[in-house]
Amino acid sequence: MDTDSDSDLLSDLPQSIIESILVKVPLVDAVRTSILSRKWRYKWAAITELVFNDTCLTSGHDKSIISCNLVNFITRCLFLHDGPIHKFELNTSYSPASPDLDQWLLFLSRKDIKELIIDIGEDDWFRAPSCVFFCPKLTHLVLVRCELNPPPNFKGFLCLKHLSLQQVIIPPHDIEVLISSCPLLESLTLSYFDSLELTIRAPNLKYLNLEGEFKDIRLENTPQLIGISVAMYMTDDIAEHFEQCSGCNFDKFLGGVPCLERLIGHIYFTKYLSIGNEQGNFPVTYQNLKFIELYQVSFEDMKELFVVLRLIVSSPNLEELQISSSSITTTTDIYDLEFWERDWPADCIFGKLKIVHMTDFSGLPHEIAFIKFLLGHSPVLEQMIVAPTIYVTDKVVKMLIDLLTFRRASPQATVKFIQEPL
Amino acid sequence: MAVVKPEMKSYIWLQTADGSIQQVEEEVAMFCPMICREVLQTGMGSSKNYAISLPQRVNPAILGLILEYCQFHQVPGRSNKERKIFDEKFIRLDTKKLCELTSAADSLQLRPLVDLTSRALARMIEGKTPEEIRETFHLPDDLTEEEKLEPLRNMTDDPRIRLLNRLYARKRKELKEREKLKNVEVEEEQHVDERSVDDLLSFINGANEDSKSARATKSKKKNRRRKEQARNSSTNNETGNHNQESNCPTSSCLNGDTGDVFSPLPSDLQVSASVKFSPKLDFDDGDIDDELDPAMKEEIDREVEDFARRLNSDWPERMQEILSLGQERRPVPLSVNGNGSLRRYTGLDRR
Repeated sequence: MDTDSDSDLLSDLPQSIIESILVKVPLVDAVRTSILSRKWRYKWAAITELVFNDTCLTSGHDKSIISCNLVNFITRCLFLHDGPIHKFELNTSYSPASPDLDQWLLFLSRKDIKELIIDIGEDDWFRAPSCVFFCPKLTHLVLVRCELNPPPNFKGFLCLKHLSLQQVIIPPHDIEVLISSCPLLESLTLSYFDSLELTIRAPNLKYLNLEGEFKDIRLENTPQLIGISVAMYMTDDIAEHFEQCSGCNFDKFLGGVPCLERLIGHIYFTKYLSIGNEQGNFPVTYQNLKFIELYQVSFEDMKELFVVLRLIVSSPNLEELQISSSSITTTTDIYDLEFWERDWPADCIFGKLKIVHMTDFSGLPHEIAFIKFLLGHSPVLEQMIVAPTIYVTDKVVKMLIDLLTFRRASPQATVKFIQEPL
Repeated sequence: MAVVKPEMKSYIWLQTADGSIQQVEEEVAMFCPMICREVLQTGMGSSKNYAISLPQRVNPAILGLILEYCQFHQVPGRSNKERKIFDEKFIRLDTKKLCELTSAADSLQLRPLVDLTSRALARMIEGKTPEEIRETFHLPDDLTEEEKLEPLRNMTDDPRIRLLNRLYARKRKELKEREKLKNVEVEEEQHVDERSVDDLLSFINGANEDSKSARATKSKKKNRRRKEQARNSSTNNETGNHNQESNCPTSSCLNGDTGDVFSPLPSDLQVSASVKFSPKLDFDDGDIDDELDPAMKEEIDREVEDFARRLNSDWPERMQEILSLGQERRPVPLSVNGNGSLRRYTGLDRR
């Protein structure tokens, strides 16, 4: 080792370290290192990750000039680059014109690209050229606002592990084919699709993230799923579809995921699961399910309530439960409060449940009954946290008193009432 | 070989490139993947004689640092926050040590430490000028000035290059506009040249009662003529034109109703040259004509008569003008103002 304090500290380090350093600075700064010294002239050109984002934009107010400069920068970087490119990320609100983008993608497809992330423009969609489908080493693909048309001879991404499509226009059948032709797929994210009917067959899939308007989702071959997060929006014709469809959504969706550890459902998820769900049927047990988070559950709809109960009862190892209530008090029906005593035997125990967090609590009869039920059947409960919605400030005191009187099966259970600051 | 009692800690023996041998607790040393592999695959490191030789880049001082890192992080119970705090303090080293540490960690395949030190080094590069970076890392400034200016450098940032680009862009725009106008005027000339003297005369001699199409053609021609007349004479005879315009109240109300059909006012011409100069507009006028209702048509007829009269009076002069202008390269040259707008420049000015 040189002990001369004036000697070059950095230039002789192996390229793997140089790369490790240069990928942690904005690309613009990495390119600038080319004028540091003779040895540094082309060190930047060998890095394998290229990330183009707002740090690459020139200053100014003329959008067309900025856009033009960005396009030039990207083109020249790619042209001057030497060696494989494993990661390419383009994240900007400008929309490079189609010929440029197509050429970049073609270039990348020849450079062993493994991670491709493209999120451009704000309102326009770009059309993905067919060369995207012929990147054999692709492991990570994220596309936002693009049109995808898999060519007929597309055989799949054999190495793809992570797929994320957001606001992507793709023929519905093709998306199923795309998913099932990626045998190693572990993580799938689909956002903002319209009225999608989807059957997912992905034997290695571990994480599923869905958001949008889904008419029908079937998880047919996903035995390894660990985490599911779903946000389901409703439109009128989806609601109609629900009236007419047959079969149990709960079974179709959660029937084949024995390894599930974490389930998160937003907006209309519980409503979706409630369609076709018949009471009394619990064929599947989720031995590994530890966290359940359900948002916007309607405590006035008995069917949704039943879905929640089915989930909890089928998860003997459940540790944490978070439920937010949708505070639309529309009905003035008589609540069937006998339901709790009648349909749920006293030996129904939640043996591992430790934390329950209820938000947007508005004091509906079934909400209160639910809390009472949980308190009474959870022997190891540590915390029951209730946060009321801001619309019931006048009833808060009464509710608090009620809650505190309920029988608790767990000696160490604490009931906390949290008032969100206005 | 002594039997190792369960309570006793086991040690791994490591040898650095300079020959010195150190004894390290097993769980600490095994945190380094390279050492771990050596132990498991070759069985080395169990005694002083069989010490594991560490890569050359690991000197004793640096090894000490690495072991400090390993010792902290191999304890499982620590929180992420604790680890982060330790890391931040740990990398407060001088640059030389930081570089050596990165190198050593890389050779021992201790990825988390490589990332940590790389991030620290990256912070020393990001946003700094080349001079600052050279000073920090003792890099030689051995590129010639020309080499520094070669296209390899970051293209988007040099103010000189940006200025040059802007000038080029402006020049190109000017040239393009001039081209465009040249083409348009060539077409205009053609229109002027197309009409024979006979045609013009027949128009004037009262083809008013003719069929729609004739009228359409007439009004087309009239329009063009009117435009040219206005164009040619506006700067000199603006007042004259205005007087004539005011004598035809129909024209102004027609202007309002039908928009561009009969609006050869000088000011309009200045507003949007493209509209006026496109030959297509003339043909469109004909179509517009056909859709007008009878009342309108009457007014148009009246106007045509007026125009014919006017034309008749000025005819010899006008004709001279038109014919003479047709022979020039640019009958009505336009120039680009300082702010890029077009300004009409008539041949009359030159007279």
